Amino acid sequence: MSNASMPKIELPGIRNVLAVASGKGGVGKSTVAVNIAVALQMQGLRVGLLDADIYGPSIPLMLGVQGQVDQATTPLPLDRHGLKVMSIGFLVPPEKAVIWRGPMIHRALTQFLTQLDWGELDFLVIDLPPGTGDAQLTLTQTVPLSAAVVVTTPQEVSLIDARKGLEMFREVRVPVLGIIENMSYFMGDDGKKYEPFRSGGGARLARHCSVPYLGEIPIDARVAASGDEGTPLVARHPDSPAAQAFDRIAKVVRRELESAPAANPLPGLEMT
Amino acid sequence: MTPTRIRLARPDQLTILWQDGLTTCHPLERLRKACPCASCREESGQTADPFRVLKPAELEPLRLVKIEPVGHYAYKILWSDGHDTGIYSLEYLRGLEKPELIPTT
Repeated sequence: MSNASMPKIELPGIRNVLAVASGKGGVGKSTVAVNIAVALQMQGLRVGLLDADIYGPSIPLMLGVQGQVDQATTPLPLDRHGLKVMSIGFLVPPEKAVIWRGPMIHRALTQFLTQLDWGELDFLVIDLPPGTGDAQLTLTQTVPLSAAVVVTTPQEVSLIDARKGLEMFREVRVPVLGIIENMSYFMGDDGKKYEPFRSGGGARLARHCSVPYLGEIPIDARVAASGDEGTPLVARHPDSPAAQAFDRIAKVVRRELESAPAANPLPGLEMT
Repeated sequence: MTPTRIRLARPDQLTILWQDGLTTCHPLERLRKACPCASCREESGQTADPFRVLKPAELEPLRLVKIEPVGHYAYKILWSDGHDTGIYSLEYLRGLEKPELIPTT
């Protein structure tokens, strides 16, 4: 597809666009995206959540949306837990695979962003698919991303890919607010702290790549249960250590983006 | 490094003024040849096909039809020969020509 048909999208009603990314799949990126979005909403902000994982949308399940949405009767984006939410999963049955090439993904995401009524938002959180492929490039090239956070788990195999994600954002000049380490540890019944996937990897990567370390999310069976049952942890168990970690990260995101000067767009051509 | 102004000071040369006050001047022919897209890179490594039929637009002097920003990191150029797939990152543009201190008029 010609790049000439990929103009930069303007999102005038949306103040900040935050991408939640990971190099590797399965590190809990969607869980982090949902919980940061809900945490921001619980802090009194107007928040949208766009599931850009066209191939494996998990946001519908995590927010308790079952089956497809009839667009004739239900306006999209959906209103769920105070968030405005959009996902390809609202339109395609979960058992049906979306087998699309890049341009189709680009078209779908562009439509989600420009043709739905998102209204006025303080934050739009975008749950990116894992990796550094077509959908990620499309979004970073066409959407005015304010910043990104990168999710990893502590073990080396995940850190290697997280680093690639960091590189991608550096290359396309999207500021990275920091690294979030998910599944860092769990507290045993004996009161001891266990670190099944080793420890300190996220902090080490942040130091190595000179980006902030936003903190760690402990393993908590309630995180998975809340996701599977459709009510995010921060709304359901706000006092749990994991929910408090999400809340702290949301506060940092908010502080960083609200205090950051808006990135100036590149100058256009002067014909003189 | 970010540009503050980008202009066609002459019809055959793109001039970019950078944040640090330095300027790079890009003759269009050289800029076109430096296109970083995959097909141009592949072409540059091969010997030219002597039997290739030129398109009418290729016989006219090269013009820059349009240049537009890509995100915060690059520019995309539409050339008069119809080519438009090159995304020139800012770092790449800055490195293509020697930056000079040119007093602005």
